[in-house]
Amino acid sequence: MNEALTIDGLTVDFGGFKAVDGFTTVVQKGELRVILGPNGAGKTTLMDLVSGKTASTQGSVHLFGENITNRPEHIIARHGIGRKFQIPSVFRDLTVRQNLEVAASGEPGVFRNLRLHMVAEDRARVEDVIAMTRLEPVLDTVAGELSHGQMQWLELGMLITQQAKVILLDEPTAGMTHAETFRTAEIINEMKGSHTILVVEHDMAFVRKIAERITVMHMGKLLAEGPMEKIETDPKVREAYLGSGGIH
Amino acid sequence: MSSETSSTLPSSTSRLQRHADWAVYALFIVMVLGAPLVIDDVFWLNRIAKYLVFGMLGIAIALSWGYAGILNLGQGLFFGLGAYMTAMSLKLMSATSLQQGSDKPVPDFMLWNAEPGAVTDLCCINKGSFLWIPFQSQWFGMAMSIVIPLIVAFVLSSSIFRLRVSGVYVAIITLALVLLVRLLLIDAQPITNGFNGLTDLGWLTIGGFEFDPYMVETYYVVAVSLTVVLLLGRWLVSTRAGLILQSTRDDPTRARYLGYDVAAYQIFFFTISAGIAGFAGLLYVVAAEFASPSFMDIGFSISMVVWAAVGGRNSLLGACIGAILINTVEATVSETEIFKEAWKLIIGGIFVLVVLYLPNGLAGIARDLLGRFERRRKGTPAETAPKAAE
Repeated sequence: MNEALTIDGLTVDFGGFKAVDGFTTVVQKGELRVILGPNGAGKTTLMDLVSGKTASTQGSVHLFGENITNRPEHIIARHGIGRKFQIPSVFRDLTVRQNLEVAASGEPGVFRNLRLHMVAEDRARVEDVIAMTRLEPVLDTVAGELSHGQMQWLELGMLITQQAKVILLDEPTAGMTHAETFRTAEIINEMKGSHTILVVEHDMAFVRKIAERITVMHMGKLLAEGPMEKIETDPKVREAYLGSGGIH
Repeated sequence: MSSETSSTLPSSTSRLQRHADWAVYALFIVMVLGAPLVIDDVFWLNRIAKYLVFGMLGIAIALSWGYAGILNLGQGLFFGLGAYMTAMSLKLMSATSLQQGSDKPVPDFMLWNAEPGAVTDLCCINKGSFLWIPFQSQWFGMAMSIVIPLIVAFVLSSSIFRLRVSGVYVAIITLALVLLVRLLLIDAQPITNGFNGLTDLGWLTIGGFEFDPYMVETYYVVAVSLTVVLLLGRWLVSTRAGLILQSTRDDPTRARYLGYDVAAYQIFFFTISAGIAGFAGLLYVVAAEFASPSFMDIGFSISMVVWAAVGGRNSLLGACIGAILINTVEATVSETEIFKEAWKLIIGGIFVLVVLYLPNGLAGIARDLLGRFERRRKGTPAETAPKAAE
């Protein structure tokens, strides 16, 4: 099966206002898809719908052929959706290593986790991710004391440790310095191929660094889809963006 | 309401810290078990046994408040239920229940209030008295002391946490519930002896041995129980489940997106905490020989939270020591006339100061000191095995 994530006619109606309106797209396995769109286009809402935070009113979401539409968040996560939030969301009172260990548990149940040690393969995965995210020097630091960039990388690392099949990234470079943005692009490029990734992003320089295929949203609907070059010259996209200051 | 104040929680992953942690546990257990060697006065031993029971309540609070981030202002409900269940059995074993010309035990207060001509038997002396029948077995009563709190806590927490109620609302619900049950308990006078509670109890009897509360053996029952609960609790929070629980406290949304059913973790640990409180109630009745609706007073439940806060709610042992310490000081101080009235004010002041300046309580101070010591040591190379800090 090559279709990782199939979104079909997804709609959410907030009392008459359709934040996402009949949105359809198919993300292939191993693909890195960027979702662009002016403010209020419904990008974050789309992520909320896919990850189960908000219930959709119409349409469906399938993950590798399994219907995950409107299931509870933790069930969707167990099916293989991992999500990174706009504001870094890590366990602030736990150390970096503990954060990754929580993400690594292959077993979700309470009783299965009544044991002191991790399974060897989970432990190995934690070590791999530590190397990849270069968090080694801060392993015993409480996550709340990390810099903004480190916190974002930790959250990314948690998604990799979690073995999410499809990863949703909501503005992964928001608030980052140039150097941090560059490092984040590196991490995402390393994840390419082995992970299926859906990124919402505004920073065009960053998008050029990572993008393969781009989906443009406007007013909750799909406006255009295709490779970077095609999107940049698409008159419809230019028009939608001109209304909010143009593409930049 | 917990995550904001505990953001400076120190990590406890360094080796020295872990060694020191175990050393403090060992020292505490030795002191608790060795106390009778130093203290001859059985009255004081009995007093300390009661404080050890409060220490167990501290552990229960730390488990739910510190580790799960659930502020339960109604822990007295589970303590009270545990106490009443055992007290019912011990009441039936009391001489006062057998002196009434009947060969079957009937609580004295039921006889005093019986309708003229009523059959003096548990089955039908009044409408609710049949509930007492199984409590003729002491083991039934003791088992119920733990089982009933577990069931009540499971049902309560299932509805609260499945609906994703959190923070201060949990505190309000638990607070209201303990008040409600207290009222019901007092209102059910014919079967609970209402406001007076259950007094004149018999002694816990195991294999023919009677545990007189003023005996060293009874002290040991409490001390060993506390040790077991402390170590079990420590194991529980060290497991993977304990770590995941702490993650749900820090950021439930993140935990959910990692695939954890947050409510299941909250329900499990809330229920365990209630079971511990119920067990504490059982032991308290054995040591204090009464059960009363005052166990479900709001003030008592809030006191438990204060003990845990002062001792350190993020540490099971810290909260336990906090409870023992405050009660011991209270007992000593309140014998002085001046302090007797002022004590509540003093403890209130201490609580405010701790919440404002020491969110991790006494245990937090100990960890900070150890951390400072460790950082200084790191400057000097090639050290021998770390000495256990006390």
